[in-house]
Amino acid sequence: MTSPVIDIQGVTKRFGSTDVLCGVDWQIQKGSVVGLVGTNGAGKSTLIKCLLGLLKPTAGHIRILGEDPWTLSAAAKERLGYVPQTVQLYPWMTVDQITRYVGAFYQNWDAAWVSTLIDRWQLPRNHRVGPLSQGQLQKLALVLAIGHRPDLLVLDEPVASLDPVARREFLRSLLELTGDNQHTVLFSTHITSDLERVASHVAMLREGRIAMFDELDVMKDRVKRLRIAATQDLPTSFAVRGAIRTQVEGRNALVAVADLDDSLVGELQSAWQADVAVEDLNLEDIFLELHHE
Amino acid sequence: MTSPAWQFEIHPSSGVPIYRQLMDQVRALIASGRLSPGDLLPSVRQLAEDLEVNMMTVSKAYGRLEADGVLERDRGVGMRVKAASVNGSVSQRQKELLPEAERLANRAWQLQLTDEQTLSVVKSALKERPKS
Repeated sequence: MTSPVIDIQGVTKRFGSTDVLCGVDWQIQKGSVVGLVGTNGAGKSTLIKCLLGLLKPTAGHIRILGEDPWTLSAAAKERLGYVPQTVQLYPWMTVDQITRYVGAFYQNWDAAWVSTLIDRWQLPRNHRVGPLSQGQLQKLALVLAIGHRPDLLVLDEPVASLDPVARREFLRSLLELTGDNQHTVLFSTHITSDLERVASHVAMLREGRIAMFDELDVMKDRVKRLRIAATQDLPTSFAVRGAIRTQVEGRNALVAVADLDDSLVGELQSAWQADVAVEDLNLEDIFLELHHE
Repeated sequence: MTSPAWQFEIHPSSGVPIYRQLMDQVRALIASGRLSPGDLLPSVRQLAEDLEVNMMTVSKAYGRLEADGVLERDRGVGMRVKAASVNGSVSQRQKELLPEAERLANRAWQLQLTDEQTLSVVKSALKERPKS
C-alpha cells in the first residue's frame, strides 16, 4: 500500500487553556473524496489549518504529500489546492486578470478547463473582484484552487454561500476532477446532503477527535437504529453491544449501533422476547445519533 | 438495446447506500421485464455523470451484480443483463422463496383472508408470468 496523502498522528492544538484538537489520528489514502463533518466549533477549520501548515499543532505529527506541512516545499505546494472559509482576493483585479495572475504561478495550469468553468459558473470576466457577492467570490476561489488540477484539494466549507444550482455545478466539477481516482479531496461541511453524492469517505469530528471514519457506503450499511419492543419492561441498565445511544422507556427501547452484525438482532429477540425493527440511517441521522446528548 | 440512464432514480440522502439503490433498481427493471437478457446497461462513466455520483459507486453496484450472476461483463462493450439461470434442486429453490412466502402469509393474516382466498390471489399472480 502506498503511503497516505494525509497522515495525522496524535495531533493536539491548544488555544490558551482550551484544547480544540485532542489527539487526532487520521490517514487519508490517494483517490478518496473525504467529507469532514462536525458541529460548529468542533475544530474542522483548526484541523484543516494545521494540516496545511497555517497553524502549528501543539503536539503530534502531520505529513501531507509526504512532507511536513510547516516546511512545505514549493513542489508540494504546486500539487495543492485550498479554498479557505473566508475568501480574500485582490479586489482591484477583474475576474480575467486574477485568473491569469494565479495561473502564472502554476506550471500545469489548465487554462481551457478554467475558461469552461468560468462560463459554466457564469462568472463575469470583465468585472472587478471587489463588488462580487459572497457566492460569486466563493465560486471564483474554487476555480482558482482547481485550475492546476491539484493532487490534493482542501476545501473549508466550500458550499456554504452557494445557491443550489451552483452547489450542483460545484459537485459536478469535483466529480470531473476526481474521476480518475488519482486526485484526493478533503472538504469540511455541515451540509450532509452534498456529501452523500460525491464523498467516498466520511469523517466525523467530535470533541477534538475523529469519532468515526469510514467509507460512506460502509457507514450506511453498518450504523443502524433498532426499535425494540419487548414483552416486559426493560431494565434501566439495558445495554446493547456497540451502542452509540440508548433510550429506554418501559417495554420499548431505541438503540443506535455503530456496527450491526447478523447475530445481534437474533440475540436481542431471544434474550428479551422482543420484536426488533432495523432502521436505515442517512448521514444526517448518523451525525445526529453521534451528537445526541 | 442500451437502457437509458434516466431509468434510474437515486436518493442520495436515503439511509440505503447509493450502490444498493442501483442494485435494487437493476433487479426491479429485470423483474418487470423492462430489461431483458442481453440488454446493455449504461457505461459506468455515463451513469455516474447522469446521476452526478461518484464513478466508484456505479462500478461497485455493477461489480456486485456481476458477482451475484445478474449481469455479465461483455469485454470492451459493457455490462449486459445475464440470462436468468436456475441453480440448485427444487427443494433448495423452494427454500429461497420461503421468506417472501412468510411475509405474504403475515399480510394475508392481517387482512383476515382465508388460506383458499390467499392461494387464489397467488394463483392469479402466477398466471401473469410467462411460462418457461
